[in-house]
Amino acid sequence: MVNLIQNENMKIYRRIRTWIMAILLVFIVIAASLISFFVENGQEMKAGEWRTQLEQQQTDYKTQLAQPELNKQYEIVLTKDLALVEYQLENSIPPLDATMWGPINGLTGLVFLITLFVVIVAGDSLAGEFSTGTIKLLLIRPASRLKIMLSKYFALIIFGLFLLLVLFVSSFLINGALYGFSGWSQSYLNVNAEGIIQEESTLIHLWQTYFLGSVATVMYVTLAFMISAVFRSSAMAIGISIFAMFAGLGVTAIFQQYPWSKYSIFANIDLTQHINGSPFRDEMTMGFSVGTLIVYFVIFNVLSWAVFTRRDVAA
Amino acid sequence: MGNKPIVSLRNVTKRIGGKVIIDKLSFDVPRGEIFGFLGPNGAGKTTTIRMMVGLMSITEGEIYIDGNNTKTEFEKAIRHVGAIVENPELYKYLSGYNNLVHYARMIPGITKHRIDEVVKLVKLENRINDKVSKYSLGMRQRLGVAQAILHKPSLLILDEPTNGLDPAGIRELRDYLRYLTKEEGITVIVSSHLLSEMELMCDRVAIIQQGKLVDIKLIQDFTGRNDTTQTYLIEVDAAEHAWSVIQEMDTVSHINSKSEGLEISTDREQIPDIISRLVQANIRIYGITIQHQTLEERFLQMTGSEQIG
Repeated sequence: MVNLIQNENMKIYRRIRTWIMAILLVFIVIAASLISFFVENGQEMKAGEWRTQLEQQQTDYKTQLAQPELNKQYEIVLTKDLALVEYQLENSIPPLDATMWGPINGLTGLVFLITLFVVIVAGDSLAGEFSTGTIKLLLIRPASRLKIMLSKYFALIIFGLFLLLVLFVSSFLINGALYGFSGWSQSYLNVNAEGIIQEESTLIHLWQTYFLGSVATVMYVTLAFMISAVFRSSAMAIGISIFAMFAGLGVTAIFQQYPWSKYSIFANIDLTQHINGSPFRDEMTMGFSVGTLIVYFVIFNVLSWAVFTRRDVAA
Repeated sequence: MGNKPIVSLRNVTKRIGGKVIIDKLSFDVPRGEIFGFLGPNGAGKTTTIRMMVGLMSITEGEIYIDGNNTKTEFEKAIRHVGAIVENPELYKYLSGYNNLVHYARMIPGITKHRIDEVVKLVKLENRINDKVSKYSLGMRQRLGVAQAILHKPSLLILDEPTNGLDPAGIRELRDYLRYLTKEEGITVIVSSHLLSEMELMCDRVAIIQQGKLVDIKLIQDFTGRNDTTQTYLIEVDAAEHAWSVIQEMDTVSHINSKSEGLEISTDREQIPDIISRLVQANIRIYGITIQHQTLEERFLQMTGSEQIG
């Protein structure tokens, strides 16, 4: 089994396209970091002007809150933000954006790009072997089809982790160079539903974000892998999965008013909704979403397995 | 080892969407032979081979390789099988060497030394580190052979191996297969539609048509080489005179006039008598040759020529 995974790794990392993806990711990290440092206010924040900036924000929030007929939702958000700013001023905690941790945190959004890349490789993983005919010489070995399938799947997960590491290391290095490798004891501040401010380790928060983002990656990759196994078409697998990534939640949102919409994979795929306290439908909990995703995960994999292990290799 | 057949098919049937592709096929492949698998296009050669190597499921019946049922003990059955199914399709973006490493990892016990040995055997030493995308078809075929023999299989299955090979390549492959069967005791199953090739290559051939076994025989029996009565072509100057001389002999069963001379069917023992009779009659003889029926002629007789598809 380890040998089979080694084989799949070789087929991933010995291709130029893999390295184009990795380099593109690093390039975007560098470009985004430079823009946020030089063009946006990163430089000023670093220079210690965060106190004046926070005081500015404080007065802004207060004037906005003083306005009559304020939207109820917006009022909650403003109150939270104001509480945070005041807490920082009182305790002399510089905002994350004054250190490298702010932009590193901001760049976790690129997990979406990682998902895109892994989906492309996943969609091609099985279907590509069929379309090039290499599947024939692969399946006439003393390795069951289940093992071949699992080795491909594991290699994809490893590829996702590899890109995650590339993202972390590159955003760490570039922002460390720009802001200085400091702020290790920096806390991540979070206002919970009861309006109480909590201090968290920034590193833990960062990896929590990576982890929750990766859940979506795993789900989309499993979807792409299933389509790849069932239809043997790379284009179809990649196309449908990417379409689902971009349009899935939007389409599901149309049916948000109906209770059954909570069973949609797209309503659950973003687990950070439960950390932020804004679930797709109010009755949904973290446990519900995790459970629903596990059901989809099992269905996708059983379908891939059932089709792939029974398929006749003609042509 | 012993004399048990290496491959046994027992009532193998394949149906796809209600259509019978292979119909209760049963035969044995003896050890140490080059076994040819013949049939017109669409007869089911490739389907049968794919069922043997597990690329296609078997609707009914069983295939045993070395006593192991391919349905229930697939990994054991396929362990000592090497195969090229049609054109060897390898990973073009990997080097030849990495392709071999890839397949070597799938079977326990293949050392780096063995990979180098096989590379040398197929004469790819100079190009093995190039990407397969830069290989010619002949080189890909050789790499295909290399991956098939990497694990020293006891059974080699080749589906249309001569596709795309030039005459020198075909000859090389033929010599190599002979070497493998004689020196290493490997059994080879080869399917092809190139009948002249099969005639030169195989010890035994099975002919299938429309999914059914038509006949299975040693190649000599197919071409009549072992028959006592043979057909001879006698080149003479005065054909008509010769005809009348030969016709008087009751040992000749059949005479036929050809542009080159006369074609007669008779026992080998009668040939000296016929020659002396002709010489006595002052007929000049330029040559006598045995006329074997080619496999192609036999094949077309047995399958009929219109059966395609």
